[in-house]
Amino acid sequence: MTPGEGFLPIARDLERFKEIVRGEVRKRAREFLTREELFGQVDGRLVSIPLPQLELPKIVYGEPLGEGLGLGGPGDEALGPGGHIPVAELELEEFLDLMGEALRLPRLLPKGEGEVTEEAFRYATIARKGPRGLRHVRRTLKESLKRALLTGEYRPEEPRLVPEREDLRYKAPKKRPKPHAQAVVLFALDVSGSMREEELRLVKTLSFWITLWIKRHFPRLERRYLLHDAEAWEVSEEEFFRAQEGGGTRLSSALLLAEEILKAYPEAFYNRYLYHFSDGENWQGDTPIALEALRRLLPTLALYGYAQVQGPYGQGRFLEEVREALAGQAGLATAEVRGREDLPTALRHLLGG
Amino acid sequence: MDRELRQWAERLRERAEAEGLSFPPVLFEEVTPEEMAMLAAYGGFPRRYPHWRWGSEYLRHRETYRYGLGRIYELVVNTHPVQAYLLRGNTPLAQKLVMAHVYGHADFFHHNLAFKPIPKDMLSEMAHHATYVEKAMERHGAKAVEEFLDLALSLENLIDPHAPYIQRPQEEEEEKAPERLRVRPYLDPFVNPPPEFPKEAEEGAKPKPLPPKPTRDILGFLARHAPLAPWQKGILEIIREESLYYVPQAATKILNEGWATYWHTRLLLPLLTPEEAVEFAELQAGLLAPHGLNPYRLGYLLLQEVEERYNKGRFGPEYEALPLGERLRYERPTGEGRRKLFQVRTLHTDLSFLEEFLTPEFALRQRLLSPEDLETFPQAKKALLCRLTNAGYPIVELLDANYQNRGELLLVHAYEGVELDLKKTQAVLENLHRLWGRPVHLKTVVGGKERLLSAGA
Repeated sequence: MTPGEGFLPIARDLERFKEIVRGEVRKRAREFLTREELFGQVDGRLVSIPLPQLELPKIVYGEPLGEGLGLGGPGDEALGPGGHIPVAELELEEFLDLMGEALRLPRLLPKGEGEVTEEAFRYATIARKGPRGLRHVRRTLKESLKRALLTGEYRPEEPRLVPEREDLRYKAPKKRPKPHAQAVVLFALDVSGSMREEELRLVKTLSFWITLWIKRHFPRLERRYLLHDAEAWEVSEEEFFRAQEGGGTRLSSALLLAEEILKAYPEAFYNRYLYHFSDGENWQGDTPIALEALRRLLPTLALYGYAQVQGPYGQGRFLEEVREALAGQAGLATAEVRGREDLPTALRHLLGG
Repeated sequence: MDRELRQWAERLRERAEAEGLSFPPVLFEEVTPEEMAMLAAYGGFPRRYPHWRWGSEYLRHRETYRYGLGRIYELVVNTHPVQAYLLRGNTPLAQKLVMAHVYGHADFFHHNLAFKPIPKDMLSEMAHHATYVEKAMERHGAKAVEEFLDLALSLENLIDPHAPYIQRPQEEEEEKAPERLRVRPYLDPFVNPPPEFPKEAEEGAKPKPLPPKPTRDILGFLARHAPLAPWQKGILEIIREESLYYVPQAATKILNEGWATYWHTRLLLPLLTPEEAVEFAELQAGLLAPHGLNPYRLGYLLLQEVEERYNKGRFGPEYEALPLGERLRYERPTGEGRRKLFQVRTLHTDLSFLEEFLTPEFALRQRLLSPEDLETFPQAKKALLCRLTNAGYPIVELLDANYQNRGELLLVHAYEGVELDLKKTQAVLENLHRLWGRPVHLKTVVGGKERLLSAGA
């Protein structure tokens, strides 16, 4: 809300509208899950969602009434029924909280050691030099008064103070340590031939929401992406979301590369999240290597999320193998995704809920 | 508002009056962008009944302003005195332009016949409505009232826009029953004769149709006859009254904006320094930009056309008889322009204004039409006029409130070649059904065939 708005009579109507919008978002959270195009970039601040179902219905024509001399065609609203589709505009954070509530997503707690300090500036001290905008009038006059008293210029019957250059005082910034949680999330995606377009899309949707949700809790979030088939390689965010299928599969390749990348983010300073998407089809003999890598990694992670997508050739066994081998260990989150309807549950599980 | 602006307001008013405009006192008030967004959402008034759609509209206006996609320079409310809001932060020149513009609107409100029956105290009227709805919310619960408002607002265009102009003959008073003696109740049947049998029961007499004649005033009919609680009827009356208030504004958008633009140009331009004139030109270019149906542009150009035609004597049977090519060169100086303009301002609404003055000559000169498309002109003009008819809404009439003698509503859409949005229409019928309590039908044309849409049947 803009300053001053709270005093306008319309504030109550605005508040009521937002309340209705919130209800609508809660109700349709599952639908929004597969419509990430509405939210654009992960870094967006405001979310605008058109909510045509909130429009008050009227008896109107079903088609525009012709152009009429090139004076505005369809969509021109200068004249005629001025119905505008209500657009909900929410802060991304509020929107995520509503989604989280509706989908029962878990809160992510920073690990104890994940706290780091950063330096924040606050204007907490006084200096003799500074920009005019920061001049501290009271302190300046006080100095001036002191000087006047000392030199005997001060006359109580006419207490006029004229600050001299040496009287001037300015507010000055002071560094202050400020604790701040930060996190890193690493997405590994299996692009072996057995993953098809449809599966890849599900996975990308999951990654999108996982990123948003982690970012909601750790505003300072670093994102890294890697793809793998038999080999693993790091890619940019865009490449990750544009990834196409490739060759064979070695799941361990991703885990080993992830381990390598995560070295740059020491456990003590970062909440480390690793997500791995695959259809679970692995080359024979690779699974023990992968599990071995996972055993090393898991204790250092906030979460290891493994989502197994049902491919066209059935489903691999890696999911069961992971669950068996690492049963009961903290920080393990697994999910099975067979189709779009599994997304809400998968998202919740992958976030540790 | 600072002193200089006040002086300018005075100066412009004097000039306007010298040119022949006349209007009630105008109160100018500077408001912040947020206040302006609120006033725009509230349809010009500082107080309306509580409803979320104002909030939704407010957000839209605020964001449009914030992202620099458009700003509302001014809002004028047709009250007595005329209330005008100026956006604080307009440049001094923009403020002057807007004030001159406002005088144009004030004159228009004051003289145009479409505004004749409109009450001039809507400021307090709207506030009364707000209080009424707030009280209803206190008594019957905010949720119940809001739900009813949602229903009723989806019917807000089902009014008879001509209702304020119609003067009905006083309805004959019903025959008075013979006076009855006041006696103790148990004596009554013995002392007083039984009332006559109602006339309907007589042989051959038919029940009076309801409504007596087909009516477009569906909201008014519901307020009188639907089985509703008094507060619900009150809300229907409120919505009907407010809808009727906005009818002439929607019906004269082009003419009103054109008139105001014509006058702010004439009043202000001669008073400007060369530097100011450049800024003026910039503002004017933005205002008259040829995007879609820009009412400022179309209205202004057409009024100038009218003035020129009547200055050069381009009217009357002799002129009308000429072929198009010669009409463009015809001249017979009469100097009737200004007089005609004032007449147009008084008598016309957009529909009649365009019908009369939007000619092929004008369309050609303004490049709305290329010469080779000349034969499409009547068609295009018809489409444009259709959009201006009934504010672009379909015309719907209530035919019978006792359809098939079952107390059901029968509405009829006056089909003229364009079909209805079925989904929305159906939703409206459902709402109507909830208000009326009995099934509701609408006769219309779907896919070229006559069809009866129903709700609750």
